Amino acid sequence: MTVHVRTLDELLHAPLEADSELTTQEYLVNMGPQHPIAHGSLRVVVRLDGETVKEVIPVPGYVHRGVEKMCEHLNYRQVIPYTDRLDYLSAIMNNWAVAKTVETAAGIETSDRIEVIRTIMAELQRLQSHALWWGVTGMDLGAYTAFLYGFREREIIGEIFEETIGARLTMNYIQPGGLMYDIKPDFAAKVKKLLPYLQDCVEQYETLLSGNVIFQERLRNVGIVDGARAVALGCTGPVVRASGVPLDLRATEPYGAYGKVQFNVVVGSIGDCWDRYYVRLEEMRESIRIIQQLIDGIPEGPYSTIRYNVELTLPEGIHYGQVETARGAFGVLIASDGKQEIPYRLHFRSPNFNNLWVVTAISPGWRIADFISIQSSLDLVIPDIDR
Amino acid sequence: MAITRLDAAINLARSNSLWPLMFGTKCCAIEMLMATGAAHHDLARFGAEVARASVRQADLMVIAGAIVKKMAPRMRLLYEQMAEPRYVIATGSCAISGGPFMYNSYTVVRGADEVVPVDVYVPGCPPRPEAFFWGLLTLQRMIREGETIREPGVRRKPVMAALPEDVSLHEIRAEIRAALANENVIDVTQAANQKPWARKVREWIQRASLR
Amino acid sequence: MDPESLLALVETAHPTLRRRPLTDRPAVSVAPGELLAVMTTLRDHADLRFDLLITHTAIDYPGENRFELIYLLYSTVHGHWLIVAADVDRTRPVAPSVCGLWPIAEWQEREAYDLMGVLYDNHPDLRRVFLEDDWVGFPLRKDYQDEYMLELPK
Repeated sequence: MTVHVRTLDELLHAPLEADSELTTQEYLVNMGPQHPIAHGSLRVVVRLDGETVKEVIPVPGYVHRGVEKMCEHLNYRQVIPYTDRLDYLSAIMNNWAVAKTVETAAGIETSDRIEVIRTIMAELQRLQSHALWWGVTGMDLGAYTAFLYGFREREIIGEIFEETIGARLTMNYIQPGGLMYDIKPDFAAKVKKLLPYLQDCVEQYETLLSGNVIFQERLRNVGIVDGARAVALGCTGPVVRASGVPLDLRATEPYGAYGKVQFNVVVGSIGDCWDRYYVRLEEMRESIRIIQQLIDGIPEGPYSTIRYNVELTLPEGIHYGQVETARGAFGVLIASDGKQEIPYRLHFRSPNFNNLWVVTAISPGWRIADFISIQSSLDLVIPDIDR
Repeated sequence: MAITRLDAAINLARSNSLWPLMFGTKCCAIEMLMATGAAHHDLARFGAEVARASVRQADLMVIAGAIVKKMAPRMRLLYEQMAEPRYVIATGSCAISGGPFMYNSYTVVRGADEVVPVDVYVPGCPPRPEAFFWGLLTLQRMIREGETIREPGVRRKPVMAALPEDVSLHEIRAEIRAALANENVIDVTQAANQKPWARKVREWIQRASLR
Repeated sequence: MDPESLLALVETAHPTLRRRPLTDRPAVSVAPGELLAVMTTLRDHADLRFDLLITHTAIDYPGENRFELIYLLYSTVHGHWLIVAADVDRTRPVAPSVCGLWPIAEWQEREAYDLMGVLYDNHPDLRRVFLEDDWVGFPLRKDYQDEYMLELPK
């Protein structure tokens, strides 16, 4: 009697027998609102056939606070703290979107100094946000070490924010016509000292995670979305850039000090999870480059051109302004009646709401474990989806 | 006698091995559960780093963020599914009272204690990780002293107050408004020392440090 | 393309369009019946190619008994902007769905339905997106009443 001992390879590649008793069953899995992979309280209903995803139905609304309704009772300065609480990882950039819209509509001039400080702060926050995302993606895919490293950089950049702004998360920093606080005298020196360290960190990220075979296997060629489809699905930010569409508001309609600096718009090639991962890593390098060009020549001057208690009434009509946050185009649409200092209607164009729905298009056909990679690569912040 | 001593031992063990539930709704989740869990702040120092994804394995629910009407029944369900004894910390203004979303919001529940009984409130928007640790230490002390075992649904006064006694939020608001009307730039330390409530705050800090 | 020639080009393609004043970007106003035809031109015309529907929302004007639907379009090919506005009757707010042109419209229209109560013709899946299915009323309407809501004390 002979026993044939199979290898693992043989086992994995054994063809399924047609008359096998193994049958799959279609069933629904609720991922969220409380679920380890849900970054916040997003509920995703996944229809599975065995382990294969058949359909994905996102059910948002578990953090819907009605911010747009509340903003109809607030003046433009009071709106700004609420934008912190939408996409809280891009708080400064969200502040900027409101400030920019109000400045353009009301014709408020800002100075070079203000724009340079805004740009530096926004890029620091982009670095912080991408570092956090890198760590969380690592954790989602089973690498807890990445989480610890990602949060290390978040704390170090956060110290600079704390010193200037006094907040760690909800910044409320960029105001119409200026900034909330002036920078400290040693701000530039501290940031300059930090930049080489952050450069090393990005290299370290590459060493820690990018070259890992398991990590690559789980990201490469998973969840492919081509450029035209990503655009049709309303994606912006790193998601659409990973599909090869060079849509970056910092370059296409430069605001702040972005017109004065040299930087590349990072684009991917095929739009799989790996491209979305790598676009963000490269963007961290570009952010460091932008700060390097600006940090030496911060002009002197006041940090605000208008008084904080000035009444801001926008002219009648529809005003739209937007900035590139860490997740895409964050826009503010203000309909003003020209009489009151509160908006008649205020609508936030949130990048996460528009980026979310791409999962319904690209997930079917992949395994449930790949769905984790796909969701993680989109870098969703749930309160920004729900508003 | 023997029973009380055994209780004390059990409470000591419970207080030092709190297993939080991996549950966060909003901004506070980044600070309360993720930043504290990472290396810089390190929740493990307090024996509470074992964040569990399943309610059945957790005994501490950290409510980090606003609770809206759609979420409230789900959160109650999570609370009911936790094995007793179970503890709840509400962190941040939204979970304490609705915070910035208290007025003119049609969905936000004004305080998580409308839904589940809360043991410790940690004020802030969001609180610093250190504030969360203070809340956790307060809870641990309460567990050791047997304070938390009570009827479910009974509300208690917040154990951590954001403002000293005799100082109302309206007074502070009026002060800030008056200051903003006069000056564009304020020296915060100097201004604070001139305020009528400055003496009260100093006394309060002194009392707190003597205790 | 500069805003003036862009508007001229759009007007040549659809002579019934009116320009919408008081906006900071080029804007046109269309009747809901023509919306689909105009949107198809805007997406497919070689010189327009508006392939990205940035956002869609509705504004409530109860005094004038209308909702103004706002579509904000961007072209990733040419890099130009256009706001398309359409007025619908407030008592019977029905507009054609543009899901067939931009898939993202499916969810943006669901949001407008959820919060403002605008109905979309030929929408594949018109459901509430943020609020629960048994929610009464549409909260972003100006006349929305909710006894749970607190007014900010003056």
